[in-house]
Amino acid sequence: MSSIEEVLKNKKSGLYYNNRLILPFKAHFLKVVVEHEIITDFSPASKGILIKEEKDFTDLYFHDFKNLKDVLSKYEAIKMVVVEKDKDIFNLNNHLKIAVYLKEKHEAVIEKTDEDILFIE
Amino acid sequence: MKSRLIFIICLFFLNAAFIFPVSGNITGELNSIEQANHNLPDPIMIAPFVLLLVAIATGPVFYRHFWEHHYPKISISLGLITVLYYLIILKDLHSLTHSLAEFLSFIALLSSLFVASGGILIRINRKATPLFNSIFLLFGAVTSNLIGTTGASMLLIRPFIKINKDRIAPYHIIFFIFIVSNIGGALTPIGDPPLFLGFLRGVPFFWVLSNVWYIWLPVTLLVIGIFYVLDSLNKKGEQEETAYDGKFEFKGLKNLIFLGIILLAVFLDPAVISWIPGLGPFPFGIREIIMFLVVYISYKTADAEALKGNEFDFEPIKEVAYLFAGIFATMIPALQLIAHEARAMGEQLNAGTFYWATGLLSGFLDNAPTYLNFLSAAMGKFGLDVGIQEQVRQFVTDGSIYLQAISIAAVFFGAMTYIGNGPNFMVKSISEGAGIEMPSFFSYIIKFSIPVLIPVSILIWLVFFN
Repeated sequence: MSSIEEVLKNKKSGLYYNNRLILPFKAHFLKVVVEHEIITDFSPASKGILIKEEKDFTDLYFHDFKNLKDVLSKYEAIKMVVVEKDKDIFNLNNHLKIAVYLKEKHEAVIEKTDEDILFIE
Repeated sequence: MKSRLIFIICLFFLNAAFIFPVSGNITGELNSIEQANHNLPDPIMIAPFVLLLVAIATGPVFYRHFWEHHYPKISISLGLITVLYYLIILKDLHSLTHSLAEFLSFIALLSSLFVASGGILIRINRKATPLFNSIFLLFGAVTSNLIGTTGASMLLIRPFIKINKDRIAPYHIIFFIFIVSNIGGALTPIGDPPLFLGFLRGVPFFWVLSNVWYIWLPVTLLVIGIFYVLDSLNKKGEQEETAYDGKFEFKGLKNLIFLGIILLAVFLDPAVISWIPGLGPFPFGIREIIMFLVVYISYKTADAEALKGNEFDFEPIKEVAYLFAGIFATMIPALQLIAHEARAMGEQLNAGTFYWATGLLSGFLDNAPTYLNFLSAAMGKFGLDVGIQEQVRQFVTDGSIYLQAISIAAVFFGAMTYIGNGPNFMVKSISEGAGIEMPSFFSYIIKFSIPVLIPVSILIWLVFFN
Protein backbone atom coordinates (compact mmCIF):
# COMPACT_ATOMS: atom_id res chain seq x y z
CA MET A 1 0.00 0.00 0.00
CA SER A 2 1.53 3.32 -1.09
CA SER A 3 1.23 6.63 0.68
CA ILE A 4 0.01 9.63 -1.31
CA GLU A 5 3.50 11.12 -1.29
CA GLU A 6 4.92 7.88 -2.74
CA VAL A 7 2.25 7.77 -5.41
CA LEU A 8 3.07 11.34 -6.42
CA LYS A 9 6.82 10.77 -6.26
CA ASN A 10 6.73 7.52 -8.27
CA LYS A 11 4.09 8.87 -10.65
CA LYS A 12 1.89 5.90 -9.96
CA SER A 13 -1.42 6.11 -11.78
CA GLY A 14 -4.89 5.07 -10.78
CA LEU A 15 -7.65 3.66 -12.96
CA TYR A 16 -11.12 4.69 -14.03
CA TYR A 17 -14.08 2.84 -15.46
CA ASN A 18 -17.14 4.91 -16.28
CA ASN A 19 -18.08 6.57 -12.97
CA ARG A 20 -15.63 4.56 -10.87
CA LEU A 21 -12.24 6.01 -9.99
CA ILE A 22 -9.64 3.74 -8.38
CA LEU A 23 -6.87 5.51 -6.48
CA PRO A 24 -3.74 3.56 -5.39
CA PHE A 25 -3.72 5.01 -1.88
CA LYS A 26 -5.91 5.47 1.16
CA ALA A 27 -6.70 8.93 2.42
CA HIS A 28 -9.00 11.21 4.35
CA PHE A 29 -11.01 13.05 1.70
CA LEU A 30 -11.93 16.66 2.49
CA LYS A 31 -13.09 18.04 -0.84
CA VAL A 32 -13.52 16.64 -4.34
CA VAL A 33 -14.34 18.78 -7.37
CA VAL A 34 -15.50 17.28 -10.68
CA GLU A 35 -16.19 19.93 -13.28
CA HIS A 36 -18.36 22.40 -11.34
CA GLU A 37 -19.61 19.84 -8.82
CA ILE A 38 -18.11 20.49 -5.38
CA ILE A 39 -18.40 17.46 -3.11
CA THR A 40 -17.76 17.76 0.61
CA ASP A 41 -20.30 15.23 1.90
CA PHE A 42 -18.53 11.88 2.15
CA SER A 43 -20.99 10.32 4.56
CA PRO A 44 -22.63 7.01 3.58
CA ALA A 45 -25.81 9.01 2.87
CA SER A 46 -24.08 11.19 0.28
CA LYS A 47 -25.90 11.13 -3.05
CA GLY A 48 -22.95 12.44 -5.02
CA ILE A 49 -20.14 10.08 -4.10
CA LEU A 50 -19.43 6.75 -2.47
CA ILE A 51 -15.93 6.11 -1.15
CA LYS A 52 -15.01 2.50 -0.53
CA GLU A 53 -11.67 1.52 0.94
CA GLU A 54 -10.15 -1.76 -0.19
CA LYS A 55 -6.95 -3.36 1.07
CA ASP A 56 -4.60 -1.61 -1.35
CA PHE A 57 -6.66 1.04 -3.02
CA THR A 58 -9.67 3.31 -2.70
CA ASP A 59 -12.74 3.22 -4.91
CA LEU A 60 -14.65 6.42 -5.61
CA TYR A 61 -18.05 6.11 -7.29
CA PHE A 62 -19.45 9.37 -8.68
CA HIS A 63 -23.20 8.87 -8.74
CA ASP A 64 -24.00 12.07 -10.63
CA PHE A 65 -22.05 10.99 -13.69
CA LYS A 66 -22.49 7.98 -15.95
CA ASN A 67 -19.02 8.26 -17.38
CA LEU A 68 -16.38 10.60 -15.99
CA LYS A 69 -14.59 10.75 -19.33
CA ASP A 70 -17.69 12.32 -20.90
CA VAL A 71 -17.63 15.33 -18.59
CA LEU A 72 -13.92 16.04 -18.45
CA SER A 73 -11.83 17.23 -21.38
CA LYS A 74 -8.19 16.19 -21.63
CA TYR A 75 -7.21 19.49 -20.01
CA GLU A 76 -9.58 19.12 -17.06
CA ALA A 77 -8.93 17.22 -13.87
CA ILE A 78 -10.78 15.82 -10.88
CA LYS A 79 -9.40 17.90 -8.02
CA MET A 80 -9.14 16.72 -4.43
CA VAL A 81 -8.01 17.88 -1.03
CA VAL A 82 -6.75 14.80 0.82
CA VAL A 83 -4.76 13.95 3.94
CA GLU A 84 -2.55 10.89 4.44
CA LYS A 85 -4.23 8.33 6.67
CA ASP A 86 -1.59 8.47 9.38
CA LYS A 87 -1.30 12.26 9.46
CA ASP A 88 -3.07 14.90 11.54
CA ILE A 89 -6.13 16.01 9.57
CA PHE A 90 -6.35 19.23 11.62
CA ASN A 91 -2.93 20.43 10.56
CA LEU A 92 -3.49 22.45 7.39
CA ASN A 93 0.07 21.75 6.29
CA ASN A 94 -0.92 18.10 5.84
CA HIS A 95 -3.67 18.99 3.37
CA LEU A 96 -2.60 17.91 -0.10
CA LYS A 97 -4.19 19.21 -3.26
CA ILE A 98 -4.10 16.68 -6.08
CA ALA A 99 -5.41 16.61 -9.62
CA VAL A 100 -6.44 13.42 -11.43
CA TYR A 101 -6.37 13.51 -15.25
CA LEU A 102 -8.23 10.82 -17.16
CA LYS A 103 -6.09 9.47 -19.99
CA GLU A 104 -6.43 6.68 -22.53
CA LYS A 105 -6.78 3.01 -21.57
CA HIS A 106 -8.47 3.79 -18.24
CA GLU A 107 -5.34 5.40 -16.82
CA ALA A 108 -5.93 8.07 -14.17
CA VAL A 109 -2.78 10.20 -13.86
CA ILE A 110 -2.33 11.65 -10.40
CA GLU A 111 -0.44 14.91 -9.95
CA LYS A 112 0.06 17.45 -7.24
CA THR A 113 -1.85 20.55 -8.44
CA ASP A 114 0.59 22.94 -10.03
CA GLU A 115 0.43 26.71 -9.75
CA ASP A 116 -1.74 27.08 -12.82
CA ILE A 117 -4.52 24.84 -11.64
CA LEU A 118 -7.21 26.79 -9.86
CA PHE A 119 -8.15 25.10 -6.64
CA ILE A 120 -9.26 26.92 -3.55
CA GLU A 121 -9.58 24.73 -0.47
CA MET B 1 -45.02 54.20 -16.35
CA LYS B 2 -45.72 51.01 -14.37
CA SER B 3 -48.70 49.95 -16.46
CA ARG B 4 -46.82 50.64 -19.70
CA LEU B 5 -43.93 48.57 -18.44
CA ILE B 6 -46.15 45.64 -17.52
CA PHE B 7 -47.89 45.98 -20.85
CA ILE B 8 -44.71 45.82 -22.88
CA ILE B 9 -43.42 42.85 -20.88
CA CYS B 10 -46.69 41.04 -21.60
CA LEU B 11 -46.35 42.14 -25.18
CA PHE B 12 -43.02 40.41 -25.33
CA PHE B 13 -44.79 37.12 -24.83
CA LEU B 14 -48.25 37.70 -26.22
CA ASN B 15 -48.10 39.95 -29.23
CA ALA B 16 -49.73 39.42 -32.58
CA ALA B 17 -48.53 40.93 -35.83
CA PHE B 18 -45.79 40.87 -38.38
CA ILE B 19 -42.18 41.76 -39.02
CA PHE B 20 -39.33 39.88 -40.60
CA PRO B 21 -35.85 39.48 -39.14
CA VAL B 22 -32.96 39.58 -41.52
CA SER B 23 -29.22 39.53 -41.63
CA GLY B 24 -28.95 41.51 -44.79
CA ASN B 25 -25.18 41.59 -44.86
CA ILE B 26 -25.00 37.87 -45.49
CA THR B 27 -27.99 36.78 -47.41
CA GLY B 28 -28.38 39.86 -49.52
CA GLU B 29 -30.97 42.54 -49.81
CA LEU B 30 -34.30 41.93 -48.25
CA ASN B 31 -37.31 42.45 -50.42
CA SER B 32 -39.95 44.00 -48.21
CA ILE B 33 -42.66 43.43 -50.79
CA GLU B 34 -41.83 39.74 -50.73
CA GLN B 35 -42.12 39.81 -46.96
CA ALA B 36 -45.53 41.35 -47.05
CA ASN B 37 -46.74 38.41 -49.07
CA HIS B 38 -46.01 36.00 -46.25
CA ASN B 39 -48.67 35.10 -43.72
CA LEU B 40 -48.64 36.22 -40.12
CA PRO B 41 -47.40 33.68 -37.59
CA ASP B 42 -50.00 32.51 -35.13
CA PRO B 43 -49.40 34.01 -31.64
CA ILE B 44 -49.37 30.47 -30.23
CA MET B 45 -46.07 30.02 -32.08
CA ILE B 46 -44.40 32.15 -29.40
CA ALA B 47 -44.91 29.21 -27.05
CA PRO B 48 -41.71 27.32 -28.07
CA PHE B 49 -39.68 30.51 -27.50
CA VAL B 50 -41.21 31.11 -24.06
CA LEU B 51 -40.80 27.43 -23.13
CA LEU B 52 -37.16 27.44 -24.17
CA LEU B 53 -36.36 30.63 -22.24
CA VAL B 54 -38.14 29.31 -19.16
CA ALA B 55 -36.21 26.03 -19.47
CA ILE B 56 -32.90 27.91 -19.78
CA ALA B 57 -33.79 29.95 -16.71
CA THR B 58 -34.96 27.08 -14.55
CA GLY B 59 -33.06 24.03 -15.87
CA PRO B 60 -29.60 24.70 -14.42
CA VAL B 61 -31.14 25.68 -11.09
CA PHE B 62 -34.05 23.34 -10.40
CA TYR B 63 -33.37 20.17 -12.42
CA ARG B 64 -29.69 20.48 -13.17
CA HIS B 65 -28.75 16.90 -14.01
CA PHE B 66 -31.73 16.35 -16.28
CA TRP B 67 -30.96 19.68 -17.98
CA GLU B 68 -27.27 18.90 -18.42
CA HIS B 69 -28.10 15.61 -20.16
CA HIS B 70 -31.02 16.77 -22.29
CA TYR B 71 -30.66 20.49 -23.08
CA PRO B 72 -29.49 19.89 -26.70
CA LYS B 73 -32.56 17.76 -27.45
CA ILE B 74 -34.91 20.24 -25.77
CA SER B 75 -33.47 23.24 -27.58
CA ILE B 76 -33.32 21.64 -31.01
CA SER B 77 -36.80 20.08 -30.67
CA LEU B 78 -38.41 23.41 -29.78
CA GLY B 79 -36.49 25.07 -32.61
CA LEU B 80 -37.72 22.40 -35.03
CA ILE B 81 -41.35 23.11 -34.12
CA THR B 82 -40.90 26.69 -35.34
CA VAL B 83 -38.88 25.63 -38.39
CA LEU B 84 -41.53 23.11 -39.47
CA TYR B 85 -44.30 25.65 -38.87
CA TYR B 86 -42.59 28.17 -41.15
CA LEU B 87 -41.82 25.57 -43.78
CA ILE B 88 -45.14 23.73 -43.86
CA ILE B 89 -47.78 26.19 -42.69
CA LEU B 90 -46.36 29.60 -43.66
CA LYS B 91 -44.20 28.29 -46.52
CA ASP B 92 -41.70 30.97 -45.53
CA LEU B 93 -38.15 29.81 -46.12
CA HIS B 94 -36.95 33.39 -46.27
CA SER B 95 -37.28 34.14 -42.54
CA LEU B 96 -35.62 30.85 -41.63
CA THR B 97 -32.63 31.49 -43.91
CA HIS B 98 -32.10 34.93 -42.43
CA SER B 99 -32.30 33.65 -38.88
CA LEU B 100 -29.85 30.85 -39.72
CA ALA B 101 -27.44 33.40 -41.21
CA GLU B 102 -27.67 35.51 -38.07
CA PHE B 103 -27.11 32.48 -35.85
CA LEU B 104 -24.00 31.47 -37.82
CA SER B 105 -22.55 34.98 -37.50
CA PHE B 106 -23.28 35.00 -33.80
CA ILE B 107 -21.80 31.59 -33.02
CA ALA B 108 -18.78 32.23 -35.30
CA LEU B 109 -17.88 35.32 -33.27
CA LEU B 110 -18.48 33.76 -29.87
CA SER B 111 -16.71 30.47 -30.58
CA SER B 112 -13.69 32.13 -32.17
CA LEU B 113 -13.29 34.53 -29.22
CA PHE B 114 -13.80 31.65 -26.79
CA VAL B 115 -11.19 29.36 -28.35
CA ALA B 116 -8.61 32.05 -29.14
CA SER B 117 -8.74 33.52 -25.62
CA GLY B 118 -8.82 30.03 -24.07
CA GLY B 119 -5.32 29.46 -25.48
CA ILE B 120 -3.83 32.40 -23.58
CA LEU B 121 -2.70 31.83 -20.02
CA ILE B 122 -1.97 34.78 -17.75
CA ARG B 123 0.11 34.31 -14.61
CA ILE B 124 0.22 37.17 -12.14
CA ASN B 125 2.54 36.69 -9.18
CA ARG B 126 1.30 39.54 -7.10
CA LYS B 127 -0.62 39.96 -3.87
CA ALA B 128 -4.14 41.19 -4.40
CA THR B 129 -5.19 44.43 -2.75
CA PRO B 130 -8.52 46.28 -3.09
CA LEU B 131 -6.83 48.86 -5.32
CA PHE B 132 -5.12 46.28 -7.52
CA ASN B 133 -8.36 44.31 -7.82
CA SER B 134 -10.25 47.46 -8.79
CA ILE B 135 -7.69 48.32 -11.47
CA PHE B 136 -7.86 44.71 -12.65
CA LEU B 137 -11.64 44.95 -13.02
CA LEU B 138 -11.38 48.26 -14.88
CA PHE B 139 -8.84 46.67 -17.21
CA GLY B 140 -11.26 43.77 -17.68
CA ALA B 141 -14.10 46.17 -18.49
CA VAL B 142 -12.05 47.84 -21.24
CA THR B 143 -10.75 44.49 -22.53
CA SER B 144 -14.27 43.09 -22.84
CA ASN B 145 -14.92 45.68 -25.56
CA LEU B 146 -12.00 44.35 -27.58
CA ILE B 147 -12.42 40.59 -27.19
CA GLY B 148 -16.00 40.34 -25.99
CA THR B 149 -17.32 39.71 -22.50
CA THR B 150 -16.94 35.99 -23.21
CA GLY B 151 -13.29 36.30 -24.24
CA ALA B 152 -12.39 38.69 -21.42
CA SER B 153 -14.13 36.51 -18.84
CA MET B 154 -12.32 33.40 -20.07
CA LEU B 155 -8.99 35.19 -20.12
CA LEU B 156 -9.18 37.04 -16.83
CA ILE B 157 -11.27 35.05 -14.34
CA ARG B 158 -8.49 32.58 -13.57
CA PRO B 159 -5.77 35.14 -12.83
CA PHE B 160 -8.33 37.11 -10.81
CA ILE B 161 -9.09 34.07 -8.64
CA LYS B 162 -5.41 33.18 -8.37
CA ILE B 163 -4.24 36.56 -7.12
CA ASN B 164 -7.05 36.48 -4.56
CA LYS B 165 -6.59 32.82 -3.57
CA ASP B 166 -5.89 33.63 0.09
CA ARG B 167 -8.84 35.98 0.43
CA ILE B 168 -11.32 34.87 -2.22
CA ALA B 169 -15.01 35.30 -1.42
CA PRO B 170 -18.11 34.99 -3.62
CA TYR B 171 -18.39 38.78 -3.99
CA HIS B 172 -15.10 38.78 -5.95
CA ILE B 173 -16.68 36.54 -8.55
CA ILE B 174 -20.01 38.37 -8.55
CA PHE B 175 -18.39 41.76 -9.16
CA PHE B 176 -16.25 40.18 -11.86
CA ILE B 177 -19.51 39.03 -13.49
CA PHE B 178 -21.04 42.50 -13.05
CA ILE B 179 -18.12 44.38 -14.55
CA VAL B 180 -16.12 42.17 -16.91
CA SER B 181 -18.84 39.75 -18.05
CA ASN B 182 -21.49 42.41 -18.55
CA ILE B 183 -21.30 46.17 -17.92
CA GLY B 184 -17.81 46.52 -19.34
CA GLY B 185 -18.79 45.24 -22.76
CA ALA B 186 -21.26 48.02 -23.58
CA LEU B 187 -18.98 50.07 -25.80
CA THR B 188 -18.59 48.02 -28.97
CA PRO B 189 -20.61 45.40 -30.89
CA ILE B 190 -17.84 42.93 -30.10
CA GLY B 191 -18.37 43.58 -26.41
CA ASP B 192 -21.68 41.88 -25.88
CA PRO B 193 -23.85 39.60 -28.08
CA PRO B 194 -26.90 41.94 -28.15
CA LEU B 195 -24.81 44.76 -29.57
CA PHE B 196 -23.34 42.42 -32.17
CA LEU B 197 -26.85 41.46 -33.23
CA GLY B 198 -27.61 45.18 -33.53
CA PHE B 199 -24.51 45.61 -35.67
CA LEU B 200 -25.63 42.73 -37.90
CA ARG B 201 -28.96 44.50 -38.33
CA GLY B 202 -27.31 47.75 -39.37
CA VAL B 203 -26.36 49.76 -36.26
CA PRO B 204 -23.00 51.40 -37.18
CA PHE B 205 -20.02 49.86 -35.38
CA PHE B 206 -18.92 53.02 -33.56
CA TRP B 207 -22.42 54.26 -32.74
CA VAL B 208 -22.38 52.47 -29.37
CA LEU B 209 -19.02 53.89 -28.36
CA SER B 210 -19.95 57.47 -29.19
CA ASN B 211 -23.42 57.28 -27.63
CA VAL B 212 -22.88 55.10 -24.59
CA TRP B 213 -19.45 55.98 -23.18
CA TYR B 214 -20.71 58.80 -20.98
CA ILE B 215 -23.11 56.38 -19.29
CA TRP B 216 -20.66 53.47 -19.29
CA LEU B 217 -17.82 55.37 -17.61
CA PRO B 218 -19.59 56.64 -14.45
CA VAL B 219 -21.51 53.39 -14.03
CA THR B 220 -18.37 51.25 -14.37
CA LEU B 221 -16.50 53.46 -11.90
CA LEU B 222 -19.44 53.46 -9.49
CA VAL B 223 -19.74 49.66 -9.45
CA ILE B 224 -15.96 49.29 -9.12
CA GLY B 225 -16.10 51.86 -6.30
CA ILE B 226 -18.67 49.73 -4.45
CA PHE B 227 -16.41 46.70 -4.99
CA TYR B 228 -13.43 48.65 -3.63
CA VAL B 229 -15.28 49.48 -0.40
CA LEU B 230 -16.41 45.88 0.02
CA ASP B 231 -12.95 44.51 -0.75
CA SER B 232 -11.34 46.91 1.72
CA LEU B 233 -13.42 45.30 4.48
CA ASN B 234 -12.08 41.84 3.59
CA LYS B 235 -9.19 41.16 5.96
CA LYS B 236 -8.77 37.51 5.00
CA GLY B 237 -5.31 36.40 3.99
CA GLU B 238 -3.51 39.37 5.50
CA GLN B 239 -1.44 37.05 7.68
CA GLU B 240 -0.32 34.93 4.73
CA GLU B 241 3.40 35.23 4.17
CA THR B 242 3.62 34.09 0.58
CA ALA B 243 6.49 35.68 -1.32
CA TYR B 244 5.51 37.52 -4.50
CA ASP B 245 7.88 38.78 -7.17
CA GLY B 246 5.26 40.98 -8.87
CA LYS B 247 5.81 39.31 -12.24
CA PHE B 248 3.25 39.04 -15.03
CA GLU B 249 3.73 36.05 -17.34
CA PHE B 250 1.85 35.12 -20.48
CA LYS B 251 1.60 31.82 -22.33
CA GLY B 252 0.12 31.43 -25.79
CA LEU B 253 0.48 35.08 -26.72
CA LYS B 254 0.37 34.17 -30.39
CA ASN B 255 -3.35 33.81 -29.91
CA LEU B 256 -3.46 37.61 -29.69
CA ILE B 257 -2.92 37.51 -33.46
CA PHE B 258 -6.00 35.34 -33.79
CA LEU B 259 -7.96 37.76 -31.62
CA GLY B 260 -6.79 40.56 -33.92
CA ILE B 261 -7.95 38.59 -36.96
CA ILE B 262 -11.39 38.11 -35.38
CA LEU B 263 -11.58 41.83 -34.65
CA LEU B 264 -10.76 42.73 -38.24
CA ALA B 265 -13.06 40.03 -39.62
CA VAL B 266 -16.04 41.67 -37.91
CA PHE B 267 -15.82 44.46 -40.48
CA LEU B 268 -15.69 42.08 -43.46
CA ASP B 269 -19.31 42.60 -44.22
CA PRO B 270 -20.78 43.69 -47.55
CA ALA B 271 -22.90 46.21 -45.63
CA VAL B 272 -19.77 47.79 -44.10
CA ILE B 273 -17.25 47.42 -46.95
CA SER B 274 -18.99 47.45 -50.30
CA TRP B 275 -16.38 45.43 -52.24
CA ILE B 276 -16.60 42.44 -49.87
CA PRO B 277 -18.50 39.81 -51.84
CA GLY B 278 -21.55 38.12 -50.32
CA LEU B 279 -21.66 34.34 -50.64
CA GLY B 280 -25.41 34.04 -51.23
CA PRO B 281 -27.30 31.76 -51.35
CA PHE B 282 -25.15 30.34 -48.57
CA PRO B 283 -26.27 31.59 -45.13
CA PHE B 284 -22.76 32.73 -44.20
CA GLY B 285 -20.10 35.05 -45.54
CA ILE B 286 -16.34 35.49 -45.66
CA ARG B 287 -16.38 36.80 -42.08
CA GLU B 288 -17.90 33.60 -40.73
CA ILE B 289 -15.49 31.41 -42.72
CA ILE B 290 -12.53 33.32 -41.28
CA MET B 291 -13.90 33.08 -37.74
CA PHE B 292 -14.54 29.33 -37.96
CA LEU B 293 -11.03 28.88 -39.39
CA VAL B 294 -9.70 30.78 -36.37
CA VAL B 295 -11.55 28.32 -34.11
CA TYR B 296 -9.85 25.38 -35.80
CA ILE B 297 -6.35 26.82 -36.25
CA SER B 298 -6.12 28.56 -32.86
CA TYR B 299 -7.12 25.34 -31.09
CA LYS B 300 -4.82 23.11 -33.15
CA THR B 301 -1.83 25.39 -32.66
CA ALA B 302 -2.57 26.37 -29.06
CA ASP B 303 0.05 26.08 -26.36
CA ALA B 304 -0.80 22.82 -24.50
CA GLU B 305 0.43 24.32 -21.22
CA ALA B 306 -1.93 27.26 -21.65
CA LEU B 307 -4.87 24.97 -22.44
CA LYS B 308 -4.07 22.81 -19.42
CA GLY B 309 -3.66 25.86 -17.20
CA ASN B 310 -7.03 27.16 -18.41
CA GLU B 311 -8.55 23.68 -18.04
CA PHE B 312 -9.89 24.23 -21.54
CA ASP B 313 -13.14 22.53 -22.46
CA PHE B 314 -15.47 22.97 -25.44
CA GLU B 315 -18.53 22.26 -23.31
CA PRO B 316 -19.45 25.91 -22.51
CA ILE B 317 -19.41 26.97 -26.17
CA LYS B 318 -21.18 23.78 -27.19
CA GLU B 319 -23.91 24.68 -24.73
CA VAL B 320 -24.18 28.21 -26.13
CA ALA B 321 -24.37 26.82 -29.68
CA TYR B 322 -27.19 24.38 -28.91
CA LEU B 323 -29.21 26.83 -26.87
CA PHE B 324 -28.87 29.68 -29.32
CA ALA B 325 -29.74 27.42 -32.25
CA GLY B 326 -33.06 26.92 -30.49
CA ILE B 327 -33.38 30.58 -29.51
CA PHE B 328 -32.69 31.91 -33.00
CA ALA B 329 -35.29 29.57 -34.48
CA THR B 330 -38.01 30.00 -31.88
CA MET B 331 -37.66 33.78 -31.62
CA ILE B 332 -38.64 34.38 -35.27
CA PRO B 333 -42.38 34.61 -34.58
CA ALA B 334 -41.78 36.71 -31.45
CA LEU B 335 -39.67 39.17 -33.43
CA GLN B 336 -42.20 39.36 -36.19
CA LEU B 337 -45.12 39.88 -33.89
CA ILE B 338 -43.75 42.35 -31.40
CA ALA B 339 -43.04 45.30 -33.68
CA HIS B 340 -46.59 45.51 -34.90
CA GLU B 341 -47.89 45.90 -31.37
CA ALA B 342 -45.35 48.62 -30.76
CA ARG B 343 -46.55 50.39 -33.88
CA ALA B 344 -50.07 50.23 -32.51
CA MET B 345 -49.04 51.54 -29.09
CA GLY B 346 -47.03 54.36 -30.63
CA GLU B 347 -46.72 57.35 -28.33
CA GLN B 348 -47.44 55.43 -25.14
CA LEU B 349 -43.92 54.01 -25.14
CA ASN B 350 -41.05 56.25 -24.09
CA ALA B 351 -37.34 55.59 -23.69
CA GLY B 352 -37.78 54.84 -19.97
CA THR B 353 -40.32 52.14 -20.77
CA PHE B 354 -37.93 50.53 -23.21
CA TYR B 355 -35.07 50.83 -20.73
CA TRP B 356 -36.91 48.99 -17.94
CA ALA B 357 -38.65 46.47 -20.16
CA THR B 358 -35.45 45.54 -22.00
CA GLY B 359 -33.50 45.52 -18.76
CA LEU B 360 -35.82 43.43 -16.64
CA LEU B 361 -36.25 40.84 -19.34
CA SER B 362 -32.52 40.82 -20.15
CA GLY B 363 -31.83 39.95 -16.54
CA PHE B 364 -33.99 36.86 -16.58
CA LEU B 365 -33.94 35.82 -20.20
CA ASP B 366 -30.94 35.96 -22.43
CA ASN B 367 -30.11 39.56 -23.29
CA ALA B 368 -29.38 38.97 -27.00
CA PRO B 369 -32.90 37.97 -28.15
CA THR B 370 -34.38 40.48 -25.70
CA TYR B 371 -32.38 43.29 -27.32
CA LEU B 372 -33.63 42.29 -30.76
CA ASN B 373 -37.23 42.07 -29.61
CA PHE B 374 -37.20 45.55 -28.15
CA LEU B 375 -35.20 47.01 -31.01
CA SER B 376 -37.91 45.60 -33.22
CA ALA B 377 -40.60 47.09 -30.96
CA ALA B 378 -38.95 50.53 -30.77
CA MET B 379 -38.54 50.65 -34.53
CA GLY B 380 -42.15 49.60 -34.90
CA LYS B 381 -43.11 52.70 -32.94
CA PHE B 382 -41.54 54.74 -35.75
CA GLY B 383 -43.11 52.56 -38.42
CA LEU B 384 -39.67 51.12 -39.25
CA ASP B 385 -38.66 47.54 -39.90
CA VAL B 386 -35.76 45.93 -38.02
CA GLY B 387 -35.33 43.61 -40.97
CA ILE B 388 -34.25 46.39 -43.34
CA GLN B 389 -30.76 47.83 -42.80
CA GLU B 390 -31.59 51.25 -44.27
CA GLN B 391 -34.45 51.58 -41.82
CA VAL B 392 -32.23 50.52 -38.92
CA ARG B 393 -29.81 53.31 -39.92
CA GLN B 394 -32.70 55.76 -40.07
CA PHE B 395 -33.76 54.66 -36.61
CA VAL B 396 -30.21 55.21 -35.32
CA THR B 397 -30.74 58.91 -36.16
CA ASP B 398 -34.46 59.32 -35.42
CA GLY B 399 -34.71 57.09 -32.37
CA SER B 400 -31.25 57.48 -30.88
CA ILE B 401 -32.49 57.76 -27.30
CA TYR B 402 -34.48 54.52 -27.66
CA LEU B 403 -31.53 52.63 -29.11
CA GLN B 404 -29.36 53.99 -26.31
CA ALA B 405 -31.87 52.85 -23.67
CA ILE B 406 -32.21 49.38 -25.21
CA SER B 407 -28.44 48.93 -25.67
CA ILE B 408 -27.58 50.04 -22.14
CA ALA B 409 -30.34 48.01 -20.55
CA ALA B 410 -29.63 44.81 -22.51
CA VAL B 411 -25.95 44.88 -21.55
CA PHE B 412 -26.10 46.22 -17.99
CA PHE B 413 -29.08 44.16 -16.82
CA GLY B 414 -27.48 41.00 -18.21
CA ALA B 415 -25.55 41.02 -14.92
CA MET B 416 -28.73 40.76 -12.87
CA THR B 417 -28.76 36.94 -12.72
CA TYR B 418 -26.56 33.98 -13.65
CA ILE B 419 -28.66 33.48 -16.77
CA GLY B 420 -28.72 37.07 -18.03
CA ASN B 421 -25.65 36.69 -20.21
CA GLY B 422 -23.64 33.72 -21.53
CA PRO B 423 -20.37 34.40 -19.67
CA ASN B 424 -22.11 34.65 -16.27
CA PHE B 425 -22.66 30.93 -16.07
CA MET B 426 -19.22 30.20 -17.49
CA VAL B 427 -17.58 32.28 -14.77
CA LYS B 428 -19.73 30.59 -12.13
CA SER B 429 -18.74 27.14 -13.47
CA ILE B 430 -15.02 28.01 -13.56
CA SER B 431 -15.22 29.35 -10.00
CA GLU B 432 -17.01 26.25 -8.74
CA GLY B 433 -14.51 24.12 -10.62
CA ALA B 434 -11.88 25.95 -8.58
CA GLY B 435 -13.66 24.89 -5.40
CA ILE B 436 -15.39 28.21 -4.63
CA GLU B 437 -18.91 27.78 -3.26
CA MET B 438 -21.00 30.22 -5.25
CA PRO B 439 -24.33 31.73 -4.14
CA SER B 440 -27.50 30.07 -5.42
CA PHE B 441 -29.58 31.65 -8.20
CA PHE B 442 -31.79 33.55 -5.74
CA SER B 443 -29.04 34.35 -3.28
CA TYR B 444 -27.13 36.05 -6.13
CA ILE B 445 -30.15 38.27 -6.80
CA ILE B 446 -31.02 39.04 -3.19
CA LYS B 447 -27.51 39.58 -1.84
CA PHE B 448 -25.89 41.28 -4.83
CA SER B 449 -28.13 42.29 -7.73
CA ILE B 450 -30.84 44.01 -5.71
CA PRO B 451 -28.54 45.94 -3.35
CA VAL B 452 -25.99 46.93 -6.01
CA LEU B 453 -27.43 46.82 -9.53
CA ILE B 454 -31.00 47.97 -8.94
CA PRO B 455 -30.00 51.29 -7.30
CA VAL B 456 -27.44 51.86 -10.08
CA SER B 457 -30.10 51.09 -12.70
CA ILE B 458 -32.57 53.50 -11.09
CA LEU B 459 -29.87 56.17 -11.10
CA ILE B 460 -29.22 55.63 -14.82
CA TRP B 461 -32.95 55.86 -15.52
CA LEU B 462 -33.35 59.06 -13.47
CA VAL B 463 -30.39 60.78 -15.12
CA PHE B 464 -30.69 59.60 -18.73
CA PHE B 465 -34.08 58.12 -19.56
CA ASN B 466 -36.67 59.62 -17.23
